[in-house]
Amino acid sequence: MNTPIIEGRGLTRSFAMPAGVVTALGEVSIRVDAVDYVAITGPSGCGKSTLLHILGCVDQASAGSLAFEGREVGALTESERSRIRLTRIGFVFQRFFLLPMLTAWENVELPQAEAGSTKADRRARTGELLDYVGLTDRRDHRPAQLSGGEMQRVAIARALANRPALLLADEPTGELDEETGAQIATLFDRVHRDGTAIVVVTHNPAVAARAGRHLVMKSGRVIST
Amino acid sequence: MTAWGLAWRTIARSPARSMLAVAGVTVIGALLFNMLLLSRGLLVSFRDLIDAAGFDIRIIAAQGSLVHREPIADAASLADAVARLPEVQRLTLVRSDSAQLLVPGRAGPGFRVAVVGTTGAAAGSVWTIVRGSSLPSSAVPGEPTPLIVSPRIASELHLEPGSEVRLRLFVAGTASALPLVTARVVGVGAFAFEAAGDDTVATTIEGLAAARVAPADAAAEMVLVSSRPGAGKAAAAAIAALRPDLRVLSNDQVIEQFNENAFSYFRQISTVLSSMTLAFAFLLIATLLTMSVNQRLGEVAALRALGFPRRRIAANLLWESALLVGVGGAAAIPVGGLLAIVLDRILRQMPGVPTRLHFFVFEPRTLVLHAALLGATGVLAALYPIWLATRLPIAATLRREILS
Repeated sequence: MNTPIIEGRGLTRSFAMPAGVVTALGEVSIRVDAVDYVAITGPSGCGKSTLLHILGCVDQASAGSLAFEGREVGALTESERSRIRLTRIGFVFQRFFLLPMLTAWENVELPQAEAGSTKADRRARTGELLDYVGLTDRRDHRPAQLSGGEMQRVAIARALANRPALLLADEPTGELDEETGAQIATLFDRVHRDGTAIVVVTHNPAVAARAGRHLVMKSGRVIST
Repeated sequence: MTAWGLAWRTIARSPARSMLAVAGVTVIGALLFNMLLLSRGLLVSFRDLIDAAGFDIRIIAAQGSLVHREPIADAASLADAVARLPEVQRLTLVRSDSAQLLVPGRAGPGFRVAVVGTTGAAAGSVWTIVRGSSLPSSAVPGEPTPLIVSPRIASELHLEPGSEVRLRLFVAGTASALPLVTARVVGVGAFAFEAAGDDTVATTIEGLAAARVAPADAAAEMVLVSSRPGAGKAAAAAIAALRPDLRVLSNDQVIEQFNENAFSYFRQISTVLSSMTLAFAFLLIATLLTMSVNQRLGEVAALRALGFPRRRIAANLLWESALLVGVGGAAAIPVGGLLAIVLDRILRQMPGVPTRLHFFVFEPRTLVLHAALLGATGVLAALYPIWLATRLPIAATLRREILS
């Protein structure tokens, strides 16, 4: 049996609030393999994003265990988790979070530079990715000069920059109209076909319908798979 | 892209705010530069001034001070004894008084002047001849008292070498009953220690004695001694052994005394104002960077989520701080330099301050200190924003940014 990219067992996330402890995620177990395309849906506040953040190693579970490519995430240092995020996980956010002072090209190139790629490799990979998302002609445009759909495509290219094993997307179509959202969903299909596992948190049924697996959450728990 | 490049782009992203920050640092840096120039300026300038006078030892009476000097008892025999010391190259006796200077045929109360009486060897060091000649080495019987006048007096009273004037010394605390003596201008000279607003004339010790209607006993209140090269300490020790009742001061000791007393006010003011300017620089940079970080918490959290380590975020902010402080600090040097020239001109008009004494003096070490202080302030100012950016909870920040 292949080692999963990521496997969480009994993942629980609690937050101490003035009114008492709130459990945002309660004993969720999930396994994502290299061939998976998983959609997570559910009402607002059900713990979808919390689960995604834990899977993406940007948050830590209060209880349970998480292994990324066989390594126990809880035992890793902050620096090691950062390295995993940089080189093995790609993140796509609802609000894109492109650096506004950089061009599309520079936004895609930045994570590669941080990962230590050579200039020649960066140039080749960035050109390839902008072509992949159909924005070669917009390479020198800054985010403010791009449409929402174009910004999200740049963000996807940035997420793929270091050839991650897993792409995590948190409401990637949340800021986009239906047609542009469909284009982004099509792009995710292509990314998956090209060998990257995807976990997408979405409210968009059309996006969820494209995934191979569909988890439905409610009140911090997975109620249907 | 390097941390430097990213910091530059971040700063360029808000040009108006960055320009304001740089302008603020420039003004603060200019003030800091001024205070650093002031902190040692008087000391350096005073050393130059007394070293340029060409004497390395000063002998004064034990009573009084370097500024308010008492007459030295038996100065003539002291001068003879000191001149015979093998360590001594030359010496001159100095006595000062105030007097009324009158030009024959010119109405009015005359000019109040400071009179310096010397044995003549002070020429070329205590004053510099502009026109005419210096004082004769010895008195010429029957000739009027020889006089060197400052350029200002020469200009005001239309005096040239050869002009005749009358001189009456004042007696402290009383109306002067001393007679007018005839003096002849032999030269026009710029006095090294003359203060703004002062009018100085110089004559020989004998000339001054004649004006006092006193015997030419070489009465003096200070003896300036130039020792042979390398023999300064030995000369001072030998003179002190000759006359233990007097104070024998090297130039270093004179400077030290002024540094501890007269100059300490300026040093303290400089220290206080330097600290204030650094505090302002700290607050300015810390506030701007904190605001900047708070405005892009989402971006920072996203970068962290994308795998950018804390040190990279910290490096970006440090570079931002360094750029603001560096550009502002560099611009502060010419601005501070110009300000120093203006302030120096104003301060040198203070009564009693030699016009050749400067309050703001440039030394290469000032540049180094200026850069080091501003650099350290920039680093300190970046610490809180760095802490804010590197310690932010990534998931919670992303969630908050989406909800907002």
